[in-house]
Amino acid sequence: MNIYQPHLMRIREIMDETVDTRTLKLEFEDPGIGQSFQFSAGQFGEYSVFGEGESTFCIASPPTRTGYIECSFKATGKVTQALRRLSVGDTVGFRGPYGNHFPLEQMKGHSIVFIAGGIGLAPVRSVIWNVLDLRDEFRDVTIIYGARSVGDLVYKRELEEWAQRGDVKLCLAVDPGGETPDWKGLVARIPTAVEQTVATAVDTFALICGPPIMIKFTLPVLEKLGFPGDHIYTTLENRMKCGLGKCGRCNIGPTYVCKDGPVFTAAQMRALPQEF
Amino acid sequence: MTQRFLSHQELASLVAELLAAKTRVIAPVRAKDDPEQVEYQPIQSLEDAALGVRIPRRSLKEFFLPPTEVLLHYRQTKTGVEIREVATVAPPQVILGALPCDAAGVAAVDKVMNWDYRDELWFGRREATTIVSFLCSLMDATCFCTAVGLGPESSTGSDVLLAPVTGGYLAHLVTPKGEALLQAHGSEASEATLAAAEAAQREARQKVEQNLAAIPAEFAGWLASNFDNPVWKTIALRCHGCGGCAALCPTCHCFDIVDEHESADEGVRRRNWDSCQTALFTLHASGHNPRQSQSERFRQRIQHKFSIYPSRFGEILCSGCGRCSRNCPGGMDLPTIVGELVAMAQAKPEAGGQ
Repeated sequence: MNIYQPHLMRIREIMDETVDTRTLKLEFEDPGIGQSFQFSAGQFGEYSVFGEGESTFCIASPPTRTGYIECSFKATGKVTQALRRLSVGDTVGFRGPYGNHFPLEQMKGHSIVFIAGGIGLAPVRSVIWNVLDLRDEFRDVTIIYGARSVGDLVYKRELEEWAQRGDVKLCLAVDPGGETPDWKGLVARIPTAVEQTVATAVDTFALICGPPIMIKFTLPVLEKLGFPGDHIYTTLENRMKCGLGKCGRCNIGPTYVCKDGPVFTAAQMRALPQEF
Repeated sequence: MTQRFLSHQELASLVAELLAAKTRVIAPVRAKDDPEQVEYQPIQSLEDAALGVRIPRRSLKEFFLPPTEVLLHYRQTKTGVEIREVATVAPPQVILGALPCDAAGVAAVDKVMNWDYRDELWFGRREATTIVSFLCSLMDATCFCTAVGLGPESSTGSDVLLAPVTGGYLAHLVTPKGEALLQAHGSEASEATLAAAEAAQREARQKVEQNLAAIPAEFAGWLASNFDNPVWKTIALRCHGCGGCAALCPTCHCFDIVDEHESADEGVRRRNWDSCQTALFTLHASGHNPRQSQSERFRQRIQHKFSIYPSRFGEILCSGCGRCSRNCPGGMDLPTIVGELVAMAQAKPEAGGQ
């Protein structure tokens, strides 16, 4: 089998998240593959527009919902701009799932704090729905999500849904200056929002995903709250081509993001050479 | 390892038989554009070959990982997209007169191409190819195969290793594929032949050994803990970032994947050689680049070859062929640089990275 051969998928639904960010719901053309396809929250794939190339995104939908996958992307480069030009019914390529995943089994019976910034909610959203679909198996669920402005918040329909649920504590925040007159969430950056929202680290895992600068300033807050380095999980991203440990471009020192990651603990991240 | 004597005449008839059976035979030949240069090319008869003349200007890499190759064909139709797969089975070929360092380079890339996911395009060609190496007598002052755990007599990656002796060659049959190739050829080697081959090996080894001492096993760990050593800033000052070293390297295997239109509805997905020495290599769509300067990119090259790959696969990702040094427009000399770093590692074995 040629490992670079993608599966063909059809776009079933297109959801605009922000002015430049979009979610695609994709179904395998071959129903057999659609039925047998399995993945874990945190894994990624290589999505392609034929004639334009491949691009790396996480799988943003949860593994508990089968028959389709979703990806969310910002139209930035050649492939993402081409993806944005596609319509419902169009064909894309998909290779995956690749990489490791969040430790769902290990987190069962514990509380979880989800922390995301901007489009960093995409990989976290896969875990959030995975946990909410198995809600009884977890304790307290807290979601802290922020963006530069109200307009930059993604998955707005789901944010409302989480706000309505009695079994989720949701904290939304936008950067100072990013609020609208009717904004009811916090006007604060993520580290401050975490300080104000999270009371304890006891029996709790933290999952954090967002811009490197956000992670850099939030990790000390989590550590001050008492989260040990192996109870804080994040995903790293790097430019990739193969996703399979061959093309040689995603490594951070000895660590290959595609094979050893993309999910890492804060303790693992601290041990990496600072080249990411 | 089986050993056998192969006369010049027997080698010639072996090549003639292979060519008659339509097997592609590749050997060093004089380059068309520059007769001073030698390169690996398909031959039509043994007379085309320029064996033992000069180090071929490019390694064997291109016969297993072509500079550009098609991964799939696509066609847009009215109802969707059709993919036409490419063959992963390759026609048989024999490489005759390979340098041991070039054969070893191929074996090093095998490990990457088989790391959890098996690259069938690579292994399709590997399995269809029999590599017959020659004991190297072409070493110059830039060669350092003995420093990286190999040598001019190394059989790593070769199916057969031929050592020139009076009247022909002593053939070491390294793999079952090599034994199959020489099944019907050669005769039992005499004591004199074995002794002559051994003397030739010893002499060849000594010539390379003077260029660079064996790299100690601890070097990999020293590199890992000296990621932030200020030496990286100065060591790469002469590097232009052209990536020529990677193109010529038998072990560099990084690649890019791109799509190319061939008409309005049809095209191909290709894999092309790439190099960690260019700024675009790691550039994110956001504009962020984890390796912004040439010193970071050159550090990656050294770290990958002498620490990252060794920590995973237990050996060095360099076969000491010296092509990077011989051809560098900036005069970056890898054996000198590695020698200096090894000296630093040995001077301060306890030194940390910060």
